[in-house]
Amino acid sequence: MSSPQRHAWIAAAAWTVLSILGIVLVAGIQVIPVIASREAEIENSAFVLLTVLSVPVLMFVVVGLAYSALRFRANGDKEDGPPIHGSRGFQAVWLSVSFALVIGLFGYGAVGLIDIRGAQASEFEVQVRAEQWAWHFKYPSGVESKELHIPVGERVHLVINSDDVIHSFWVPAFGVKQDAVPGRPTQIYVTATVAGTYPGMCAELCGLGHTDMRLTVVVSDRAGLEDWLNHNQVPGPGGSQPPPSGSEPPK
Amino acid sequence: MTTHAGTRDPHEHLDHMGFGEQDPQQASSNMLLGVRLGILSEVMLFGALFAAYFVIRSESGGWPPAGQERPELLLPGLNTLLLLSSSVTMQWAVRAIGRGQVATMRLSLRLTLLLGSIFIIVQGYEFATNGFGLDAGVFGSTFYTLTGFHGAHVLAGLGFMAVVATRARRGLISQEHHTAVEAASYYWHFVDVVWLFLFSTVYVL
Amino acid sequence: MKALKPGLTRAVLGAAIGGGIGIGSLVLASSAGLVIEDGQFLGLAYLLALIGFLFGIGAFRFWVTWAFGREVDAADEHAAHGTAGDWRRYFRFTTDHKVIGVQYLVTAFLLFLTAGTFAMLMRLELAQPGLLLGKEAYNEIMSTHGAMMITVALISIIGGLGNFLVPIMIGARDMAFPKTNALSYWLLPLPILLVAINPLLGGFDSGWTAYPPLSQQANLGQQAYLMAFVTVGVSSILSAINFLVTVFRMRAPGMSLMRMPIFVWALTVTATLMLVATSVVAGAFTMLLFDRVLGTSFFRASRGGDVILFQHLFWFYSHPAVYIMGLPGLGAILEVVPVFARKPLFAYPLAVLSFISIGVLSFMVWAHHMFVSGMAEFFHIPIMLTTELISVPTGIVFLAALGTIWMGKLHFKTPMLWVFGFIWAFLIGGITGVYLADVPTDITLSDTYFVVAHFHYTIVGGTIFGLFAGTYYWFPKITGRMYNERLGQLHFWWFTLAFNATFLPMFWLGIEGMRRRVADYPGQFGGLNLWISFAAFNIFLSVAVFVFNMVRSWRRGPKAAANPWRAHTLEWQVASPPPIANFEEIPTVSEGPYEYGGGAGLPAEGRAAP
Repeated sequence: MSSPQRHAWIAAAAWTVLSILGIVLVAGIQVIPVIASREAEIENSAFVLLTVLSVPVLMFVVVGLAYSALRFRANGDKEDGPPIHGSRGFQAVWLSVSFALVIGLFGYGAVGLIDIRGAQASEFEVQVRAEQWAWHFKYPSGVESKELHIPVGERVHLVINSDDVIHSFWVPAFGVKQDAVPGRPTQIYVTATVAGTYPGMCAELCGLGHTDMRLTVVVSDRAGLEDWLNHNQVPGPGGSQPPPSGSEPPK
Repeated sequence: MTTHAGTRDPHEHLDHMGFGEQDPQQASSNMLLGVRLGILSEVMLFGALFAAYFVIRSESGGWPPAGQERPELLLPGLNTLLLLSSSVTMQWAVRAIGRGQVATMRLSLRLTLLLGSIFIIVQGYEFATNGFGLDAGVFGSTFYTLTGFHGAHVLAGLGFMAVVATRARRGLISQEHHTAVEAASYYWHFVDVVWLFLFSTVYVL
Repeated sequence: MKALKPGLTRAVLGAAIGGGIGIGSLVLASSAGLVIEDGQFLGLAYLLALIGFLFGIGAFRFWVTWAFGREVDAADEHAAHGTAGDWRRYFRFTTDHKVIGVQYLVTAFLLFLTAGTFAMLMRLELAQPGLLLGKEAYNEIMSTHGAMMITVALISIIGGLGNFLVPIMIGARDMAFPKTNALSYWLLPLPILLVAINPLLGGFDSGWTAYPPLSQQANLGQQAYLMAFVTVGVSSILSAINFLVTVFRMRAPGMSLMRMPIFVWALTVTATLMLVATSVVAGAFTMLLFDRVLGTSFFRASRGGDVILFQHLFWFYSHPAVYIMGLPGLGAILEVVPVFARKPLFAYPLAVLSFISIGVLSFMVWAHHMFVSGMAEFFHIPIMLTTELISVPTGIVFLAALGTIWMGKLHFKTPMLWVFGFIWAFLIGGITGVYLADVPTDITLSDTYFVVAHFHYTIVGGTIFGLFAGTYYWFPKITGRMYNERLGQLHFWWFTLAFNATFLPMFWLGIEGMRRRVADYPGQFGGLNLWISFAAFNIFLSVAVFVFNMVRSWRRGPKAAANPWRAHTLEWQVASPPPIANFEEIPTVSEGPYEYGGGAGLPAEGRAAP
């Protein structure tokens, strides 16, 4: 085997071994630290795919550099290298593979995006209002709170507004984030899958209080949610409010 | 790359044009290319302003917004005629000097200056009698920013033409040396085209 | 009187007079009953100070003379080109592209050091949970750091190395418009000063992105930033016109476009982007300034304005801007590789095509900065496609670099070390960019430290590594002396290790939920932030080594030969530093720039002009 071919085969072998090792290492990882929604689940699988595909790309370059640094040093040799200007074949393969990778990634991402954001139907709607520097939530029954309470397993629609500057509503465990824009309501659709309490925070620089502009989300079953809503009724002009529709009779 | 010693570069010597200059024809052509590129950049500026106008207008639910009225078309219509004619006279100037007719060029240039100046006066009068200002919500904001930037460009063009007219009066413009006239004409036609676009989208449609 | 001759003294005087007239006239207006706001004072004062400064430095004297139909003073025009060895020409309105290049380079590095100091202050705050400097101070320091570094990235390579080298590399005596070139440079000191002193005006806390409504609320320092940015934009556009006309009209006989050095190609595409995109952000910032100062409502939702419109206009420029920052670095890297691998640049025509494709595509991806902005839903999918696609031509840079390196005869001098460092860093930047391009993953990552890490890897990895590679490579050509190789290697290793140690952990921090632009963070991130601050401080120290090396070598380094690297491009065929007219005779070119391995041996030494 000629010298150029030997170099290529050894490097290819190193690349294959390292890529396989790398893929095995990353294939099952969970990237999003806490996953508590359908959307976050979909997004995590996108993360894993990207990471798995990154491994051979990374290894290709790293092996190329390392091998060259070790084997192609001039070491006092004043001669030039071989006058190779390019390789039609190699260039064509490079272009095709990168193009295919990109189109594949796009397809996967587009499908995921439509899955996450596509359907506009929901079973529970909350009005979210951002101001410098706090979050306010208003429920269908008229209850207002600084905490977000939503039912588990149901598709929730958040309508987000801002009173002043741009803020951004983010709950990492849900994998949802959307800016709160003055003058234009924005939307989030989310289906929480695990009951619990999760932190959220503002994700767009909004002035001095941005650092501390946080919120809490409580995910519970419908019964628990109705309970909480009743507990937090704002007394209306005629006494207590009628219970929210679709609720169980009080225990 | 290997190089090859040719005959001595005749422009290597320092002459009154200084370093880096090539022969006058080439320098003139380079200058005009530079002007065209500059105009391209200005087109993008107006692009941003028009984009803002279209977006804001399409989101406003009614144009003009409630309680506001668009300017009458008489004065801007007159201005359109003025600018169109001034482009014609500007082009006469270019043609004339291309044929070496300095006097005709000077006359056409002065006519262009006159027409352009009347444009500014008419526009100023229109602004004063419009009944709304820059701070009249988005309507005033978009109207005056677009027409204001255009007007500023007209003023700059008139200033440049005045400079060219001065040089012409001193006999510095000829059939061989008239880059400035051509440059002024590129700029002036650009200003005219922007006006046509502005007139149609801000005043009429 | 010395102050009456065009020069810095007169320029400062002119600025003071201009500013004075601006303030004075508005004071008069206000005493006559008009209500004048602070922002209007600042606006007019700055504008007139800038014009006064330029008049004072003598930027307009030739054009004014021409305008009045008088003969230009030939001796003055000749003198404006500067005399070799006269250090004062660097402080004047000098039209020699080599002087202007050095002016840009030194200014850029000084700005780099200043912005780096601001970064150290940021890392001081972030070293531990809790507040040290305070939220207001942090936001202002952070915003100024960003604004300054962006400016460095925009001007250092194309303004510095580009101005110095491009005319020589294509066989010309100067740029197409030498006076405009000098004007481009002298437009910079005042805006840079304005950004540097903006804390005195109250600072600006909106980040360099200046989104309204926050930026409409903010104080005068915000306005100072906006005005400075527009000024730098004007300088950019003039520069771009100069580069394009020079490259398309002034190449030496035999230098076809496909025989141009790849560095020149990279700068040509860069100049095109500068020319076309800059006006759009100038428009956006002007509208924002008008909202602040003249009562317009472009971005005031309550009066019919559209807040997201600003973002569209801003990013329509600012995405091409990252290629304006990156392409010159890529060009410098690809310029260096063939020389130190002793091999032709692999896939040169494809590399040229990919630069052009990057340029074109860069106008179609801007909204990937807005995936969570609340913009129209339908837009996400086409933008995701174009953004993913742009990684194909960008990947070609790796093909060209690796293809040149593979089977070459590698000489690991400092410039080549930076090439290897670039390949790693830009790769990480590129791969992580895909995570941001993919909307499902971007939702989690947007506005977190993942983004901060990504853009530092691409911009530092691309632009700064390219800047260092180019500065070391061309140092002997520019200064006539050789830098110290061991200090160069020390700088490289220290910087690279510190840089990776600083920014690699930030990807993890972002995924774990640490947001960007915050002065404080949850306690669990404390340990890693402390490490990052320590590593960042090392970056700063390594740059001190660089500065020491540059200054000492420039003053007392060993004299450099005309072609110490045995390179084939035209700038190496003339003396180091080049003679004032660049060439004794304009050469005729008969082959491409990277014909290594041809067996022809060393290229002939050029003859310098007397």
